Amino acid sequence: MPDPRDPEAAPSDYFDWTARLLDLGAVPAKPEALRGIRVLDLSVIIFGPATADFLGELGAEVVKVELPGGGDVTRILGGARTFWKNTSPFFFPQNHSKYHVGIDMHRPEGQALIRKLAARSDILVENFKAGTLETKFGLGYRQLAEVNPRLIYVANTGFGQWGPFAEGRASYDGLAQAVSGLTAITGFPGALPTKIGIYIGDWMGACFAALGVLAALHYRARTGRGQFLEMAQCEALIRAMDWTWVHAGLTGKDRPQTGNRDPAFSPSGVFRCRDGSVAIVAATDREFQGLAAAMARPGLVEDPRFATPEARHAEENVRALEALIAAWCRDRTRAEVEALGREHGFAAARVMTAGDHFEDPHFRARGAVWELEDPVYGHLTDYGPAPKLSRTPARYKWVGPPVGMHNDYVFARVLGLAAEEIRALDEAGVIGKWADRLGAKPPDGWAGEGFLR
Amino acid sequence: MKWAEWIRAAEDPARVSEKPEALDDLLVLDASHASFGAFLCGTFLAELGAEVLKIEPPSGDPARRWGPPDAALEGEGLAYLAEGRNKHYITLNLERAEGRAIFRGLAERADVVIDSSPAGHLDALGVGYRQLREANRGLVWAAFAPDGQFGPRARERRPDYDLTNQALSGMMYVTGEPEDERGPRPEAVPTRMGSWISWYAAGAWGAIAVLAALHHRRATGEGQLVDLSGAEALMRFMGLGVFRYEVAGFVKEREGLYESAVYPYTFVRVKDGWGFIAGYTDPNFGAICRIMGRPELAQDPRFATTTARTTPENQAPLREEIERWSVDYTADEILAKVLADPGPGVVVFGRVNAPTETLRESHWWERGAFRRLQDPLYGELLLQAPAWRMTETPPRVKWPCRPLGYHNAHVYQKYLGLGPSRLAELKAQGII
Repeated sequence: MPDPRDPEAAPSDYFDWTARLLDLGAVPAKPEALRGIRVLDLSVIIFGPATADFLGELGAEVVKVELPGGGDVTRILGGARTFWKNTSPFFFPQNHSKYHVGIDMHRPEGQALIRKLAARSDILVENFKAGTLETKFGLGYRQLAEVNPRLIYVANTGFGQWGPFAEGRASYDGLAQAVSGLTAITGFPGALPTKIGIYIGDWMGACFAALGVLAALHYRARTGRGQFLEMAQCEALIRAMDWTWVHAGLTGKDRPQTGNRDPAFSPSGVFRCRDGSVAIVAATDREFQGLAAAMARPGLVEDPRFATPEARHAEENVRALEALIAAWCRDRTRAEVEALGREHGFAAARVMTAGDHFEDPHFRARGAVWELEDPVYGHLTDYGPAPKLSRTPARYKWVGPPVGMHNDYVFARVLGLAAEEIRALDEAGVIGKWADRLGAKPPDGWAGEGFLR
Repeated sequence: MKWAEWIRAAEDPARVSEKPEALDDLLVLDASHASFGAFLCGTFLAELGAEVLKIEPPSGDPARRWGPPDAALEGEGLAYLAEGRNKHYITLNLERAEGRAIFRGLAERADVVIDSSPAGHLDALGVGYRQLREANRGLVWAAFAPDGQFGPRARERRPDYDLTNQALSGMMYVTGEPEDERGPRPEAVPTRMGSWISWYAAGAWGAIAVLAALHHRRATGEGQLVDLSGAEALMRFMGLGVFRYEVAGFVKEREGLYESAVYPYTFVRVKDGWGFIAGYTDPNFGAICRIMGRPELAQDPRFATTTARTTPENQAPLREEIERWSVDYTADEILAKVLADPGPGVVVFGRVNAPTETLRESHWWERGAFRRLQDPLYGELLLQAPAWRMTETPPRVKWPCRPLGYHNAHVYQKYLGLGPSRLAELKAQGII
């Protein structure tokens, strides 16, 4: 008999068991995987802050340092149309549950504070131009490793810390897409170049960076040794281009643009329905039989043009097949096509919008769409952590409070300063809080609740 | 010594093999099947030093054949060939009781199991996480499925494809050309990213979660289940989508060459193809105008402020102004002008490279972003190297993929003491 007090005790059905094991409602009471790990986040915009954020959602304590007053430039990005409760929500997706301090790094006293924070941190994240922290602020890896040899220092850039493009050449996500070769293998032949609709080099690069940090942390646990680790946005995208390079090496050719057809799988594509679009893949014989049955054209599987995977890959046959699928989808809804995919065992998925995500009960139940009661901003909804861990689930606690909101907490709790020492630093302008302007200040009417004062 | 010189020496790609590997105390069973996201999770751990045993049924992982239809090598799909690096390849039939007993023996001593069979399939066979954690309390089990291991759709067991993951993630909806007054065009549709990005995201998130779980295990001895979806792995990168839908009913649409948040940030034609150019703050936009020899454009009321530049009706005219200039120069000529500009302001520019053009740039070769392997089985192979540069424990490529069952003798001897004659019996019985 399963023990009713044990949340992991097994109901016989697998999905009943996983529903209990991974229950979103039980998350707050469970421990965090990276508790006790401190991350010093000196970065801005997305690539660096997301690296720190991914560690923070798994339980690391992230101390984000910003310039007093305006802080991270992302706090004012997005244009006047997007301000919400005096802030730019563009700042939110990469700044969850962080401790926000305002330190003027241009002042020697500010640099001293950062050195002290680095001495008490496990990980440091920065995305300055290569070498800037060392030459301009005296806070580079070589200096900080002296005060903390266990430090894992991760530096994110466009092109890397060294090499012909590393000095003097600036980068953004869109540039990384262009120079990596990603743009050339995306989209439709002969059409305009396709910019990915999200900052994929920032996010994927941050994901790789966080993974490298955890490997370095594993090594440090075994040896006590920290290290320097760098992630170049362009190299992250080069890494994520699957068979592009091996193909170029073997054939000397560029892989062609194939629009929405995944060239490895046939048929595959995106087809218009009455209420939006649906992606369909039916690559194996079994999946293709399922698709043919769903289309009420079982004869397709005997048609010599489509009878084998090889035949289904021939260009003119694929085109013929795609035309049939397109015609079949046209008068159906996305839900009908998905239901037929479920019934007949091929892959069908609606092209989801943000609205679809918001309304979707599955993503809600899993916390992929995450509801938050924030101490400053109140109720809001966000995309949740990607991995779902049964014992130490990832989570968000708050999001993007103004610069310096946690000065008192961090300087007292992490650095052990007395209240009058903190006050003196504040009066000298070494540390500070938010400016009284749009993009920087708390919402009107916020009573100051939710933070150590 | 200057930083650039010091770090170049500390990361020297030619000296990687002199250094230790970060994860070389870990044993990972990669039982991924027909899922490249799960497969890449094992690949990333293997690049960082873990011993990864890739388990395939005697018929092989279907992913072994994946790649472009017009090119394969020794029967292996090019994707598997490129990404199967550093793993040990064994075969095992989990549909047979004897095969499951062997799997149990391996899982009892493994740190990590990677599973992408349909949700609950291994559980039903008696060798899922629920059963194996009894024998190995510290086991971390990473399960991959597009709809996850729980939630209303988990029972549907949809096949795991990158294209359908991209569709679910929301990324596809915002990528590509918008429909406009020209009416429906075949390319003005939600558009997939050209490589298997949902699988890269799933693999990286999987490896992150596994290492975080192992961190927790170090303190407590406890393993756990990690549930991953390729769709959700990409969805985490979607920024403000659901937030803006809730507060404003706003759904972001495709913007093609334009960008509502920052502009200019776009592609322009150049003499020899296409380039990407950006400079969206006032000083940076001023630099673009200066480099173009059009300083007056920075004062044009349509373009003078960030708000004016991101106004939809001003974006196309601004792009046209830049393109009128850029078409007269090659990408290299424009880059030289950008790099020679003394400031103030910074312009970001680069050519839209075909992959073979990226391969001609010495920067990546000097940094070790690419690697040419001379492989005894597959000959010369050009591969992308691991993405991390690390001073103490640099990741590396030791070998590309290996044929089905290539490491059976070594692995079964090492872990289970199965000698050649016993192995031959198991093979004859269809277990291995």
